[in-house]
Amino acid sequence: MAIPAELPAEVSARIPERGLAYPNCESGRGARRGAALAADVLVVGSGAGGAVAACLLAEAGLDVLMLEEGSLHRTESFSTDVLAMMRALYRDLGGSMILGRPPIVFAEGRCVGGSTVINGGMYWRTPPRILERWEREDGLPEIGPRAMETAFAEVEREANPETQADDTLGVHHRLFADAARALGWHPRENLRNMRRCAGLNNCAFGCPTGAKQSTLVTWVPRALRAGARLSADAYVDRVLFEGGRAVGVRGRYLGADGRPSDRFSAHAPMVVLAAGARHTAGILKRSRLRARPIGRHLTVHPNAKVVGIFDQTIRPWWGAHQAHQIHDFLDDGILIGYAVPPPGLLAAALPGLGERSAELMALYDHMFPVGCLIEDTSSGRVVLGLDRQPQMLYSLSRRDTATAHEGVAKVCELLFAAGARRCLLPFADLAEIGSPDEIRRIRARPPDPRGLELMTVHIMGSARMAADPRRGATDPFGRVFDVAGLYVADASLFPSPIGVNPQETIMALVTRNARRWLERDVPRLRAARRDRA
Amino acid sequence: MSAPRHLSPSSAAILRAVIAAIRPRGHGFDQPIDEDVLLEVDRCLPCLPALARAALPLGLRLLEWGPAPFFRRFTRLSAMPRDEARAYLQGWLDSRLALRRLLVHGLRALVFLAFYQHPSVLRAMGVGWDRRLAETVRLRADTLDREKYGYPR
Repeated sequence: MAIPAELPAEVSARIPERGLAYPNCESGRGARRGAALAADVLVVGSGAGGAVAACLLAEAGLDVLMLEEGSLHRTESFSTDVLAMMRALYRDLGGSMILGRPPIVFAEGRCVGGSTVINGGMYWRTPPRILERWEREDGLPEIGPRAMETAFAEVEREANPETQADDTLGVHHRLFADAARALGWHPRENLRNMRRCAGLNNCAFGCPTGAKQSTLVTWVPRALRAGARLSADAYVDRVLFEGGRAVGVRGRYLGADGRPSDRFSAHAPMVVLAAGARHTAGILKRSRLRARPIGRHLTVHPNAKVVGIFDQTIRPWWGAHQAHQIHDFLDDGILIGYAVPPPGLLAAALPGLGERSAELMALYDHMFPVGCLIEDTSSGRVVLGLDRQPQMLYSLSRRDTATAHEGVAKVCELLFAAGARRCLLPFADLAEIGSPDEIRRIRARPPDPRGLELMTVHIMGSARMAADPRRGATDPFGRVFDVAGLYVADASLFPSPIGVNPQETIMALVTRNARRWLERDVPRLRAARRDRA
Repeated sequence: MSAPRHLSPSSAAILRAVIAAIRPRGHGFDQPIDEDVLLEVDRCLPCLPALARAALPLGLRLLEWGPAPFFRRFTRLSAMPRDEARAYLQGWLDSRLALRRLLVHGLRALVFLAFYQHPSVLRAMGVGWDRRLAETVRLRADTLDREKYGYPR
């Protein structure tokens, strides 16, 4: 059912991200059975954390091998065929579950470039209050807003965060921003990592125009140009140890059907885990590291959505994924944003079977989903399931449920101010309201998480940095406590949720940490290598 | 017409009954695409988590034989009239048992994804992502300020 991108070759050739070279990149599918690989550094994962770490270490002259569970899908292979893209780019088809009360749907990428290939590209610095808290209350050094300035500036040079050009704003962007202003709120123009976005709203399925500056088109090719190697379709099972230090990893290559096939092992004196907050914790646990904080302190930025139904048409394929956000309520733990998914995804998130679904979806072009992201105070855990895969357990506290209710109420205020006729709500016991007067029914709902429908694309904190090994899995620069040579470089490191999209925070933290590893740890590695030689 | 690759014939027959019961109907959604939907769902199965893949055949059989214990009808799902089958599946969605809810939620999500993203349905809805794709690539190619953005990089 592919919808071909019928593009003249001449047009495609003028897009710099189409036809990018990926030297030193191989699929594990062609590798020999029991392959043994070696490098100075192994980086597990190629998303926001892994690609940045691999690039900085390779540019410092180290022999870096990236191991990526997903496949390499180039910009020119991206299309608007949603299911084909979800099969290619997502883990579990985007339908992983965080178990608890309520269960939360979680989506993440599984491809070269990781979740940066399928995110909306939001690129915000960590709020200063969060950095100050990490410095003051969590005792992390050199992480305050001033100390992080260099790292933020460095990643921004590559990622190029910019706002959406006016000529590509769609109907829904203007509805959102005008309604927010009418309420006296201050819509912020979204910063996204892009170079001249043309407004296709296909960010979540790979950017076929090449505008989104995911790590697939930035740090990964840069790392490969610096001499790093990349082995795709390579699933890492566990870390290997020798005398209390990490010396490599072992895993299995994945076949074309995604199932494990031949085993491999890879050896290096430095192992960097950047598989995301779920799978990094899973690898650490499968490696039999028993430190109590590993897998704990999981936070998830729960999202609740409201679908406004309008008289006017929205045409969501005309415009960006998300051109604005409301940051007025960040101090209350609420960020308001929007995203209009294609019909299949929206239908799956709306109630009804058969004719009821058809009745709703006939209004698709009049629907505008707006959501609130909650800076959660609840925390969960990553545990190993029966199949040795990491499962996430998390239940929403009454406090966070109340915050979610307030967020949903504010979203309804905005949608009605924008002209919505009715709002479809994320509550099983309160499915719809038809006027602003009814918003009080949301605020009056008891803060019971049952029947609240949530999803997320941000998970954090499962191997967090801390000054004290009793409080975190890694030291303040991402080194796993008590295991030499083992590092973490993804959102697992966050000591707390940050209340905004985490992409830039991951990249900046990893930049800060990698600079420290190069300064302090790598010279020791090089000396040891010289001694052995 | 090709056959499902990942579903056994008996599982495929049960899934056909599920699709017939829950697929959208009326309001411009009467496209005869049930077999396409089945094949698309079948293509998605390898992407599911291993546990879900392993449990799916059992789940489908529970659905097939569940009308007696859960719906007080001594028949199989695939033999039920469409409206009755839909009411029976709605009962699973409203169940207090999370596993029952999860199974039908998951199947519903797959069926709706395959149905609403079918090219004939998208055409009928007037959804224009595919048309807009070529337009936006061309727009970016024509208006990209290479100097400003530092290309070639």
